Amino acid sequence: MLNLLVPVDGSGPSGRAIDHLIKNFGRFKDGVEIHLLNVQHHIPYGGRVSSVIGHDKMAQYQQEEGMAALKTAMQKLDAAELKYHYHIGVGEEAGIISKYAKEKGCDQIFMGTRGLGSVSNLVLGSVATKVIHLSPVPVLLVK
Amino acid sequence: MEFLNELQTAVFWIGLWQIILVNIVLSGDNAVVIALAARSLPPRQQKQAIFWGAGAAVVMRIILTIVAVELLKWPWLKLVGAALLLWIAVKLLLPEHDDGEGVESSDNLWAAIKTILIADLVMSLDNVIGVAAAAKGSLTLLILGLLISIPLVIFGATMLMKLMTRWPVIITIGAGLLGWVAGDMAATDPVVKGWVDANAAWLHWVAPAAGVAFVVALGKWLAARAEAEQQKVVDLGEGSKTGALH
Repeated sequence: MLNLLVPVDGSGPSGRAIDHLIKNFGRFKDGVEIHLLNVQHHIPYGGRVSSVIGHDKMAQYQQEEGMAALKTAMQKLDAAELKYHYHIGVGEEAGIISKYAKEKGCDQIFMGTRGLGSVSNLVLGSVATKVIHLSPVPVLLVK
Repeated sequence: MEFLNELQTAVFWIGLWQIILVNIVLSGDNAVVIALAARSLPPRQQKQAIFWGAGAAVVMRIILTIVAVELLKWPWLKLVGAALLLWIAVKLLLPEHDDGEGVESSDNLWAAIKTILIADLVMSLDNVIGVAAAAKGSLTLLILGLLISIPLVIFGATMLMKLMTRWPVIITIGAGLLGWVAGDMAATDPVVKGWVDANAAWLHWVAPAAGVAFVVALGKWLAARAEAEQQKVVDLGEGSKTGALH
């Protein structure tokens, strides 16, 4: 079974990657294992804030932001009746994406070339660029 | 009249810019606490929590800072303050502890105000040094800087938090700025000032630059080490959908 890691961030390009995924891999319904992943940044001043606010409240914030970012992707996959797993990671995107690819035993990473943070002049966003460098497996980029 | 003369100098405007930035950076953690503590409250109570909690914190902050500015005129205290400030700046760059306990949390107005107040008490004592140092003895600079930046932090707490989360480099720049202020403070302590001015005037820019380099290098290194030590892969939202029609 083909095991795909699909990092998403709720952006337009990210949604297009999902459309492409459904179009080209949807036909292999039970032959593809899809792992949706959204990576949240660390909360700023984490060290100082956690001693006052507490780890749980901070995790709750990141989880809610993560679920919001995953929403569009999940809706599209639900509409296409595809099975998937979803995850919310925390940290610097490219590093965490690579960690997950290894951890979940993925055969390939499937993602958009750009995302929320990308400057429109660049062909390739910074996260995609770093993932290409760090990824232990082949990376498929969707424009 | 002297106040108006002061306004005319470039040194003043640079100093004002610096103190506003230092204040925002050092209040950034308060902004995050306010944003997180008030989030679970209904909108009207959110405003109240911010008003009372932050309002009290501001008064405390202004008084403490004025006291600190006076204290910093005494010998040795600037050197001590510089060391403390370097340590604070490095810690700004460190990620959260997994076992952060936190103040008792519940979702009512009083609990939120309490959290904001305690946060300010715990975190402001060192914030005060940074702002007092950036004021470089000018009361005008101090008051103007506080007046401009504190409302921004209080009312823009959520926006500030989102900005800093999206672009972590902001915190790095802020920590670097603190390193600069610390270096400058160390070179102008009454104990060493005379000697420095006479024999090593270059220290007036080398010390601040060294402060920046020290903070950024040490902070980033410690943060990278902490991240690497984190063996387990954090997953805040693990789940699956079966793909069946709902």
